[in-house]
Amino acid sequence: MYNNMGPQPGMPMHQGIPQPGMPMHPAIPQPSPFGNPFSGPGSGLIRSGLGAYGEKIFGSSSEYVQSNISRYFSDPQYYFQVNDQYVRNKLKIVLFPFLHRGHWTRISEPVGGRLSYKPPIYDINAPDLYIPLMAFGTYVVLAGLSLGLYGKFSPEALNWLFVKGMVGWFLQVMLLKISLLSLGSGEAPLLDIVAYAGYTFTGLCLAVLGKIIWGYSYYVLIPWTCLCTGVFLVKTMKPVLFAEARSYDSSRHHYLLIFVALAQFPLLIWLGNISVNWLF
Amino acid sequence: MTKEFAVPPVDFSGGSTTGANFQQRRAPAPPFQPPRPSSASSSIPFMSFDAASAAASTPAGPFGGTIASSSSFGGGGGYASFEDEEPLLDELGIHPDQIWKKTRSILNPFRINKTVHKDSDLSGPIFLYLALCLFQLLAGKIQFGVILGWVVVSSIFLYIVFNMLAGRNGNLNLHTCTSLVGYSLLPVVMLSAVSLFVPQGAGPVRFVIAAAFVLWATRACSNLVVSLADGGEEHRGLISYACFLIYTLFSLLVIF
Repeated sequence: MYNNMGPQPGMPMHQGIPQPGMPMHPAIPQPSPFGNPFSGPGSGLIRSGLGAYGEKIFGSSSEYVQSNISRYFSDPQYYFQVNDQYVRNKLKIVLFPFLHRGHWTRISEPVGGRLSYKPPIYDINAPDLYIPLMAFGTYVVLAGLSLGLYGKFSPEALNWLFVKGMVGWFLQVMLLKISLLSLGSGEAPLLDIVAYAGYTFTGLCLAVLGKIIWGYSYYVLIPWTCLCTGVFLVKTMKPVLFAEARSYDSSRHHYLLIFVALAQFPLLIWLGNISVNWLF
Repeated sequence: MTKEFAVPPVDFSGGSTTGANFQQRRAPAPPFQPPRPSSASSSIPFMSFDAASAAASTPAGPFGGTIASSSSFGGGGGYASFEDEEPLLDELGIHPDQIWKKTRSILNPFRINKTVHKDSDLSGPIFLYLALCLFQLLAGKIQFGVILGWVVVSSIFLYIVFNMLAGRNGNLNLHTCTSLVGYSLLPVVMLSAVSLFVPQGAGPVRFVIAAAFVLWATRACSNLVVSLADGGEEHRGLISYACFLIYTLFSLLVIF
């Protein structure tokens, strides 16, 4: 339904050309669906960031460390291959998921003999990390604005709001991860789950914005946001759950999905309640 | 009747202490010189270690990247003469005319002068940060640490977002990023100066003025970042939203 790019050229997703700069330990590239984070696009950022610890990381246990990092922290640059059109369409899907007429499965392509998913520019269902990051920042800024309008703004309060947002994000990640683990092997990359969890902040921003503009609209927007986030997460996690599950146990899957959708209500109500003390 | 004061003649010939000579001044002794044997007399190569040459070899201060040229040290007599020293600002790497040029280039948000910002420095941002803290102090808010922390965090944020979006050909480095974020704080500094005079009760007026300055800062910062580093052209909107978030955060400090 959404086509963010024109005719798609056969773009290889990751090249194995080592970047100039730090001498690369000659390691066998680990086959992972999202490319080796140390020899792909964006690796310059990781390399210069880890440059100070170069000797420690690229020491004798390099291969073991690399494989572990690749498994738990798949190449983050994949999640930032976005453009304006993708962002707009994805926001439409996240905020109004029942209007999406297309399918919800991610398009996979065989790369290097192993199935991997297309990057977000080519596939509207692929998760990305740009929207969650920006939505989180917008949530913090809008919450600070709403605090200020009630006369309770202070930099420390903003720090507590940041912490509260982080805790909320973490709780959402835990919810999704536990529901994955309880069913199957839970092999979905961590950054995928982090991205899915971060999409809730978009609806939350809408609710807080409504609260700023007109106080009573909050009581309409919060249930709407919970509903939309629940539907979005259910529709996104369904193919993931069914792909990862070890045994096909239909009723258990459905109960878990309903639980995920219902758990959005307390979580979002807690996050949307902007006050100075961050517990409630 | 004239009083006769028995003033002994001032004698500079090596410190004789006769009586209470408060007027007698000793000549400034030259600094301690370790004995320098000539190279022919000793087999061990002697590294003459002057205080002057030691000072010449340490790098310049934290601002800027220019290292003071040490060629003028170690002249005759063993200690540096005053005329041979570099000016203090040059040694610290602070160039006021460059700072002024860069600051003036931010004043026009519609035409970006990127050549002036090509070599980044941090002394201009430090100066703008101090100005912002001063205006906040005048408004009664002591927020030195808060603003410094937020500048650091937001420049790291912009660095990460830009390099991740630009992918393999993104080459923004953290020094340039911090320099650009710092210089684009100029509209926020002006906002804090202006908001000292806007009365506290006029709600919407403050927001409108703040919105104008925030948009100015966003436009300046995102245009500079995109034009100075590669790989950002097709992500202009995405990057400028990140800049917008940063400057809205600073304006929150000013308004409330």
